[in-house]
Amino acid sequence: MIDEFKLLNLRINSMVKLIEQVINSQKELLRLLSENYGFGSFAETRVVPDVMTLLSLPSSLRKTVLALYKLGEATAEDLSNETKRLRAVESTCASQLARMGYLKKKRVGRKVYFYIENHFSGALGKREK
Amino acid sequence: MTLLNRGFNISLLDLDFRAPSLFNIFGEAIKTPDLWWLNDFFNNRCRIDQVPIDISESCNTDRKILIGLANPSPYAILDMMWKSQAWEASALRKLYSLRSIFLNKMNMDYIIYDTSPGIQYSSINAVAASDLRIVVTTSDPLDIEGVKNMLSEFHDIFENKILILINKVLPETERSLQEKEKALLSQLEETVGHPVIGVIPCYCDVLRAKRNYLLSLKNPTHPFIQKLKEIAEKLIKY
Repeated sequence: MIDEFKLLNLRINSMVKLIEQVINSQKELLRLLSENYGFGSFAETRVVPDVMTLLSLPSSLRKTVLALYKLGEATAEDLSNETKRLRAVESTCASQLARMGYLKKKRVGRKVYFYIENHFSGALGKREK
Repeated sequence: MTLLNRGFNISLLDLDFRAPSLFNIFGEAIKTPDLWWLNDFFNNRCRIDQVPIDISESCNTDRKILIGLANPSPYAILDMMWKSQAWEASALRKLYSLRSIFLNKMNMDYIIYDTSPGIQYSSINAVAASDLRIVVTTSDPLDIEGVKNMLSEFHDIFENKILILINKVLPETERSLQEKEKALLSQLEETVGHPVIGVIPCYCDVLRAKRNYLLSLKNPTHPFIQKLKEIAEKLIKY
């Protein structure tokens, strides 16, 4: 009986190692896909919010995207100045859009900037020179 | 021309990439040897300040009138028909950027976008980047119904003002329009659900004329031009 348990333990340990190997190779695959093709976890997924996408968004979120198209990169404060809505509302909308994959955000010092990323022109926030 | 005469600087941009027309209309006024099209700007081949052509001299005005042309070549038209979602999103950002440059750096007072009819990517991009839309339709009941349907779906999406302009109204309709203009206008406004900024009768001589010149310069007293002046005056108030 004890021998059988030991054998079972060994098998379970080898299965755990195998599963760890599978998980590690999947992580590596995700990393490579993310680096080369822009695929990744849900939060990292990039969806370009074109006008047709805007038509399908609720008006509260659409307003934030349109303001961001106008401003380029913007903090929740900048968005709030543009849309005349509360900063907290803009922060919530922009964060939700970032979770949905429409926007990206980056931290510069203590400020968080939202922007639309597009492989045609990089960050769409970059202004024409 | 009314806007110019009132002291405004204006720019007129051809965003009708499927059927460009401004190149033919302003052909005689264009003296620039190196021509950059709006297509080039949207395709990242040039900067926006390389696109506008100043035709103020040809229009005999001391104000500034700039035009931006769409490439009329069949290859360019085909190229603009097959753009990805990401490209269209980039085009929308460029429209916003263009608007900012024209209004702030080039001192324009009005930017007029001439778009394709119907629901095209380029048209909706232009609508999204505008403050005011003028929907031009004929008095044909089917056209008016189409406009009504389109606006019922899209009217509040971009939160900009909408005005209706009825063009090529048949002469007999025009006579009845003069008799009871207010009643007819309010009837039209009720049907479409938006203010009608003007009604332009169908002038056969305008339709038959060559389109390679500006009627407002050649025949400024033509009733068609007078109607346009009335509409422009109303437009300034918006």
